[in-house]
Amino acid sequence: MNGVKIMDKKVVAFLCNWCSYAGADLAGVSRFQYPPHLRVVRIPCSGRVDPLFIFTALKHADGVLVAGCHPGDCHYTSGNLVARRKFALVKSLLDFIGMDDNRVQFDWISAAEGNRFAETATKVAEDIENLPQWDQWGERA
Amino acid sequence: MTTLDKIKAQAKELLAKNKVEVVIGFTQGTLQGKSTPYFARTEKEVDNLVWQEGCTNNLANYLLKIPQKKAIIAKGCDTRSIVNLIKENQINRDNVYIIGVNCPSTDSCQSCQHPEPILADCFIDVATRETKGDFSDVEAFSRLSKEERKKYFYQEVSKCIRCYACRNACPACYCKECFVEENLPNWLGKTTSIADNAIFHLTRAIHVAGRCIDCGACVRACPMGVNLSILNRKLLKDVKELFLEESGLSLDTELTLNNYKEDDPQGFLIGGE
Repeated sequence: MNGVKIMDKKVVAFLCNWCSYAGADLAGVSRFQYPPHLRVVRIPCSGRVDPLFIFTALKHADGVLVAGCHPGDCHYTSGNLVARRKFALVKSLLDFIGMDDNRVQFDWISAAEGNRFAETATKVAEDIENLPQWDQWGERA
Repeated sequence: MTTLDKIKAQAKELLAKNKVEVVIGFTQGTLQGKSTPYFARTEKEVDNLVWQEGCTNNLANYLLKIPQKKAIIAKGCDTRSIVNLIKENQINRDNVYIIGVNCPSTDSCQSCQHPEPILADCFIDVATRETKGDFSDVEAFSRLSKEERKKYFYQEVSKCIRCYACRNACPACYCKECFVEENLPNWLGKTTSIADNAIFHLTRAIHVAGRCIDCGACVRACPMGVNLSILNRKLLKDVKELFLEESGLSLDTELTLNNYKEDDPQGFLIGGE
């Protein structure tokens, strides 16, 4: 273990198939560096994200990132716009019950924004590292 | 003629003319000051109806369970639930006769903002009443520290025994297959640990967000006294402030979370607006 930092904090990333997942792919193809915290779950559209997924992910992970197409670019025309209302409520509700800011984050990343994906992944990873230990809804021993 | 007499006369007329098969209302409960839902199928049974303090349950729930033509004695919250159920295609407007009456309770629902019926086929003694409903409880809770809020939330959900009475009593929770009971996939752990309870309560609140009309049926149904209303009312407040909408007031508007605007607030995103 000497000198090796064990990256044990995990962030579940829900990426929409048409934009953000392709953006992550581009980041990889372009060899952009970013921390290894993310565990990617590919979803058909950010509109598919039931808040249940976010809450459940937090039972096992330290953070959640949800990313979809920019408004106007949705493959299904308005999936991300309907999701936006839902996410606004989720974010506000989590804050209300005392969840750390930045533990759950949302962003729009297009298929052409490989650099932006890497930046977002880095930001989210750093935010999670800077937050106090998450108790995983009281499950962490 | 009292309000109750007028309700009874209307109910009897509907049954006599065979316009409906059952009238849904309240009768005297077994406990003092409590009323229990009642289904009057004959003119004689109509005489058992009451309309008094304590008629608080949301009767709209029963509309989903009775396929025949029915009449419902509806106060403000029942009619708002009915409006939402019609918009969600859960009930057929032609099968329901709504007898709209002002809510008889004056002190049981402190936060109520709409005691008068919104939608009805006949209105009985409806008068607008001064209400003092606001979101002071939500605002007071928001002012607590992050740690205090989290502690309170954990403490509240730890009481839950997961009987799902809150879901069953809720007129907005009508899914035939609810995520809490699904096993394939197993959306939600079946234990009463804080984690599973927290996930359940947050998801329940979000699933009825934009449709909840704050009737308090879930709170009254809860045998463990979990403070469900703080979550419901927080989302009610958010929907009102972020999207300028209030659920169940009009048949013409789309439900808040089925809809969007180009310029909806997105300050919650990374980097803000």
